[in-house]
Amino acid sequence: MCLSHIKKGQKCRLVSINGEGKLKQKLLDMGFIFGADIEVIREAPLYDPMELKIHNYLISLRKSEANLLEVELV
Amino acid sequence: MIKVALAGQPNCGKSTIFNLVSGINQHIANYPGVTVDKKVGRFSYKEQKIEMVDLPGTYSFSSYSLEERVAKEFIVDEKPDVIVNIVDASNIKRHLYLTFQLLEIGIPVVVVLNMIDVATRRGIEIDAQKISQMLGCKVIIASGAKGIGGDEIMEAIVKTSQESAGSFKINYEELEPLIEETQSEIETSQIPLDKRWLAIKLLESDETISAKLEVEFKDIKESTKAKEEKFHSLYDKDIAPFLAAIRYDSADIIYHKCVKHLKESSETVTDKVDKIVLNRWLAFPILLLIMFLVYELSIVYGYKLTDYTWPLLAMFKNAVIGVLPEPQFTDIPMVTDFTIWMVNSANALMNYIPIFFILFALIAIMEDVGYMPRMAFILDKIFKKFGLHGQSTLPLVLGGAMVGGCAVPGVMSTKGIADDRARMATILTVPYMNCLAKVPFYTLILGAFFKEEMALMMFYISTVTVFIALIVAKLLATTVLGTRETSPFVMELPPYHLPTFKGVIIRAAQRVWVYIKKVVTIVLAVAIVLFAMLQFPGLSEDSIQKFDIQAQKALDNFDKKAKKSAYYELVDTKEEIYTLLNYYDNYKSQRMIASGKEGAEAVDADFMQKNEALFKFVKSGDDKEAGEINKLLRKLSKDRNKILREVKNEKIENSFLGMIGRSMEPLTQYAGFDWRINVAFLSSFAARESAVATLGSLYENNKADDQRAEEAMAQNSGYTPLHAVAIIIFMILTPPCIATMIVVKLQANSYKWMLFAIFFPITLGIIISSSIFTFGSMFEVSGLDAMGYFYASVVALALVFGLFPTKTKNWFVDKK
Ligand SMILES: Nc1nc2c(ncn2[C@@H]2O[C@H](COP(=O)(O)OP(=O)(O)OP(=O)(O)O)[C@@H](O)[C@H]2O)c(=O)[nH]1
Ligand SMILES: [Mg+2]
Repeated sequence: MCLSHIKKGQKCRLVSINGEGKLKQKLLDMGFIFGADIEVIREAPLYDPMELKIHNYLISLRKSEANLLEVELV
Repeated sequence: MIKVALAGQPNCGKSTIFNLVSGINQHIANYPGVTVDKKVGRFSYKEQKIEMVDLPGTYSFSSYSLEERVAKEFIVDEKPDVIVNIVDASNIKRHLYLTFQLLEIGIPVVVVLNMIDVATRRGIEIDAQKISQMLGCKVIIASGAKGIGGDEIMEAIVKTSQESAGSFKINYEELEPLIEETQSEIETSQIPLDKRWLAIKLLESDETISAKLEVEFKDIKESTKAKEEKFHSLYDKDIAPFLAAIRYDSADIIYHKCVKHLKESSETVTDKVDKIVLNRWLAFPILLLIMFLVYELSIVYGYKLTDYTWPLLAMFKNAVIGVLPEPQFTDIPMVTDFTIWMVNSANALMNYIPIFFILFALIAIMEDVGYMPRMAFILDKIFKKFGLHGQSTLPLVLGGAMVGGCAVPGVMSTKGIADDRARMATILTVPYMNCLAKVPFYTLILGAFFKEEMALMMFYISTVTVFIALIVAKLLATTVLGTRETSPFVMELPPYHLPTFKGVIIRAAQRVWVYIKKVVTIVLAVAIVLFAMLQFPGLSEDSIQKFDIQAQKALDNFDKKAKKSAYYELVDTKEEIYTLLNYYDNYKSQRMIASGKEGAEAVDADFMQKNEALFKFVKSGDDKEAGEINKLLRKLSKDRNKILREVKNEKIENSFLGMIGRSMEPLTQYAGFDWRINVAFLSSFAARESAVATLGSLYENNKADDQRAEEAMAQNSGYTPLHAVAIIIFMILTPPCIATMIVVKLQANSYKWMLFAIFFPITLGIIISSSIFTFGSMFEVSGLDAMGYFYASVVALALVFGLFPTKTKNWFVDKK
């Protein structure tokens, strides 16, 4: 399933990135590597973007980008 | 000399460490680039000359973002002697990801574990010794904010600069054969960096490095491409994610061997604060409150502060006037005229310094605390709809999204916006915000034509700008900026920090200094040009004669009546009258700015001392005879001012600027502007304040002296409220002031965009004002109604625009 569908407070694990180029490299550099644990902390007050915790730090990602991340729940 | 580069991920405290070790009193140069600026500091440590460069923060060393390109090009081209890698000790794992890439370069590295205070507070224990062993380089523990570790860092830099690079190596497993193969191909390269690193960069398809190596090895790109494909077919993996995964795994190993969490990770302060600040229902009220506070403290309170600083500037002006040649009645020497004009222009801008200082300090606090990224997080969705970005909030607020501001700091604060298109759109829309210096202009026009409806009109004016900005942003983002790169909005939300007092003050002072240096100098240059354009070609012979006669008449009048006075011998030559008149005028203006009773007494004493014989004429007291002269002086001073104003008015009318204003009438008549308004708009280009001054002097003439500019304008101009609305709307949209254009040039890094930022609003302004005026006159709409219709259509248009999606995904399909 994609990351954008994960509910607040749920934890999941990254399976693959369906993006290319700049987005993919950026995500890789920020630690979105295969098998990384991701926790959804909250959505923004207007429901987009979402706040995630990965490698023990906080990051914000728009839903349109979260859509490209394939994850599995843990 | 030792060349040192400070590298690290964003927000790890590089600049703080930089200031700690270089001592901020050292020469720190600022090189503003597009989104990045690297700061260079030169200083000495124990007789060693050090040149230290504070590089922009980068998460990695690939070449996808501008900051990364700048940082990498610096290291490759300048080849520093030592790289100091700042690591956030409270978040080691992610930071090591960059550290590995730095270690591979083949330049000696010193690792600094910064923010050790934060790590300790969170119960993170780090074995620096062990990390040092595993990485094969010096590891220093430090806290930039607390001033810990500065000396140790410098010691390590000096020592390391004499050693060669360590031999740290990550084992890239399946990729190793290909790395070795590539490495042997480029072994003969002249680039003085580690060949293994170059090989890895090639395999990563790094553009900077590929381009450099292609000069020496012509087919290197093709052979690399073939290797990438080979790797893909063998292992079904792409190289970039493969490298990232191995680096993260290696970071994980070091992390587990060297870092212990003493406390069970409980909820941090950041988590607790975010629960409130980012709460769905509280986020917006808190945001509004913070913006209100910033506005209140900087703009409102700062404006009050100018009450105290303005007298200083006035004192400066008077001091300057004091040393200038004195006027001979209506004959004012050109030097005097010119210098006063320049001082006035400079003062108008210097007057904003208290406001800017407070504003910049507050921004620095918000930046340090970590609220800025939260603001972007909250508002991103709205701004995204108009091609802007969450991070556009602050520039727009500074520009005056709420009641008033200044576009100069607004445009300057766009630097942090990651998305190139949104950043450009923000730079180009901030100048539409409600500029504080426009307020006197609105007050003048509203006072003349909308006395009753002033509040409603002011509301229209100050809120319509936000909607206009949104519309313009959307228009630009979908047209001229349509092809600009957009960036994925992947933004770190850093932990909250307490700001350091020193850091905040330094940053605010630096920004104010940039404002003074860049803006004031250029504005003064423009002021010179404007002065010339308003002065020349000057009056015709006939007019000069006409004014001479008037002046002579005023003097004769004085002379005739003064003859009866007992003091006549003191004023029976022209020179004596001139001196006395100047003395009188100076006294009056000094008294005007003197504050309180003591101030007034001081001025009295001063003038008494300057010329005791004349003092009785400016303050006659019981001396009846002197009182008569005083009355005559007042009349003479009034006559002089009237003549001067007429001279000025005629000069403007005949000046080059006047001619330009007149030549534009055929076009501007559709908006209802005559040449006077045109000249006012043209002169407001230097600083908006001049618009009011010019209009004032154009309309005040010919009338009794005590008439205010508003009344004069209402009676003499022949304008209707509809004219006024057209003028106001044009003023809302334009004219961009020169100071703003300078920073637009700085931030957009191109003259082309600066010219665009000048002419697009002017075109838009003239089209809208013309249509309002032309249709308004045709259908006999009242001024207030016209403004109402305008407001309603702008709001409606903004809402409609918001519904159309903006294309933002061109990074998704790989460029090129
Ligand atoms: N508690 C604590 N805070 C620190 C320390 N060093 C820096 N800070 C804070 O961390 C924040 C970021 O510091 P900067 O020096 O601006 O970081 P930077 O690496 O230059 O950031 P960029 O230029 O954006 O890449 C500021 O709020 C500093 O006050 C430290 O040792 N301890
Ligand atoms: Mg910095």
